[in-house]
Amino acid sequence: MADNTIIQQGYFTSTGVPKTIILRSDIDWMHTYNLTTIAGTTQWDSTEHIWQREMIAGDSIIYYHGAATNVMNSVGSITGFNGVANRPAFYPIDSSGLLTVAPIAVTAGTNATQPVYSTATTVPLQTGAIVRVYGGAHTNINGLDFSVDTIVAATSFRLANALATAPGVINGAGFWRYIAPDLMTYKLFTPGKRVVANITAANPAVVTTLVDHGYSSGDIVRMMVPAGCGMTQMNGLLGTVTVVTAATFSLNIDSTAFTAFNFPLPAAVPFTPAEVVPVGETTASLLDPVRNQGYIGIVLGSLGAVSGTPTGVNGDVIKWIAGKSFATFIP
Amino acid sequence: MLASTASFINCTGGVNGDNPTEITRADVDLIVRELLNNNAYTIMDNIEGENKFGTAPVRDAYFGLCSTRMTGNLDAVQGFIHKNQYPAPMNALRSEWGSIGNLRFLVSSIGSVTPVSSALAADVYNIFCVGMEAYACIEQDGYSAQFIYRPPIYDGPLALNASVGYKFAEVPRITNDLWVVNLRTTLA
Repeated sequence: MADNTIIQQGYFTSTGVPKTIILRSDIDWMHTYNLTTIAGTTQWDSTEHIWQREMIAGDSIIYYHGAATNVMNSVGSITGFNGVANRPAFYPIDSSGLLTVAPIAVTAGTNATQPVYSTATTVPLQTGAIVRVYGGAHTNINGLDFSVDTIVAATSFRLANALATAPGVINGAGFWRYIAPDLMTYKLFTPGKRVVANITAANPAVVTTLVDHGYSSGDIVRMMVPAGCGMTQMNGLLGTVTVVTAATFSLNIDSTAFTAFNFPLPAAVPFTPAEVVPVGETTASLLDPVRNQGYIGIVLGSLGAVSGTPTGVNGDVIKWIAGKSFATFIP
Repeated sequence: MLASTASFINCTGGVNGDNPTEITRADVDLIVRELLNNNAYTIMDNIEGENKFGTAPVRDAYFGLCSTRMTGNLDAVQGFIHKNQYPAPMNALRSEWGSIGNLRFLVSSIGSVTPVSSALAADVYNIFCVGMEAYACIEQDGYSAQFIYRPPIYDGPLALNASVGYKFAEVPRITNDLWVVNLRTTLA
């Protein structure tokens, strides 16, 4: 294999959201070409993004139409152009390590069952991404991973799967970290254990998980509910899953007469949260065997309807190539 | 596989202000009780006491599998017996560090660590406390491990780069979810 050999290539049609590309091995460089904007002349449309190892997460070199012509200008993603800095570009992902993006400041968080966290930087978040907050007054949530939704660009994101009870305090300054773009990247093995956000006292009991569960109907799970979370009658019970939503599933357990479930308050720290542990399945098709699904890849950032990122905008056709170098020289 | 799927208990007996806290004797006792209540068999037999200065009998024990970076914190736990204090140190495993109650700790430089995942953004160390036959690695039939070496001549006319790799097919399985618990802890 010679230097700069392309080890993988492909294309996709953008849907205007970040795109995760799974790669067969570690790479040292990647290029994306927007075939739609290359053929056009619209000012500010980017046509090519270049990333190579040692660039920081999110960065790239961008070629874009600096004017309404075919003439190209180039700039870094971090610097940006047309008044938009920090254009999200390439985020290397290694699902055995995750955490490739530096911590980002949180300025506030609401005291609600779905806290909204204020932050000046929301890239490369998309609905369903998984984050972790820490350092703020939400000490009962700090360090726990959760899925997000309702992302307001450069303003805030929301904890997607409602807690049984609000955190109890307003969160102050702290940090958030981008853990994974989606469930596929989140854990090496699936189905995985999940921290429980809520369990209804109903027949059937409905469980909400902090991170979307990724289970299939027919999976068998064991509920682990410590005393601090209430509903101790549920502790240790096995149940068969019927999927309701990405974040909720029902169990063949009647919890109507059980004590109410609560999410521990900051005063309970340190504590062990309630969790759900997959232990088997009833289906004959082996829908959810425990298997290693780790991979190395790249997340291509997006600005939604705004062009200038590797994914362009909805409908753009993107070609990409990725390769390896034998040596990297850093002065 | 264990980090992704095994149930966990956070250490809560420590005083470092984090969640989980550093490991304490109360946390070890809780884990041992959990495994006992779940009818997990211990893996190692007890080591009988002998009339040797500085030694202490060692209880029959489950294994705790953890990172080498845990060793300093293990030393500080009440009731810790280093393996050189065993009445018969030859019964200790090469990777063993010592025992606390009914838990004997095996350490590895590649022990499981979840980076910046405590409430105070510290690294969380996963100690997999396992009973006998709690999990298994099943090699796939007809596909044993291969170590592959390609000499430099395959690289190009200048024969500059050799490549080495291995591949294998095996399936890790938890055989009984009640017999393995991940004790999560931070450092003191």
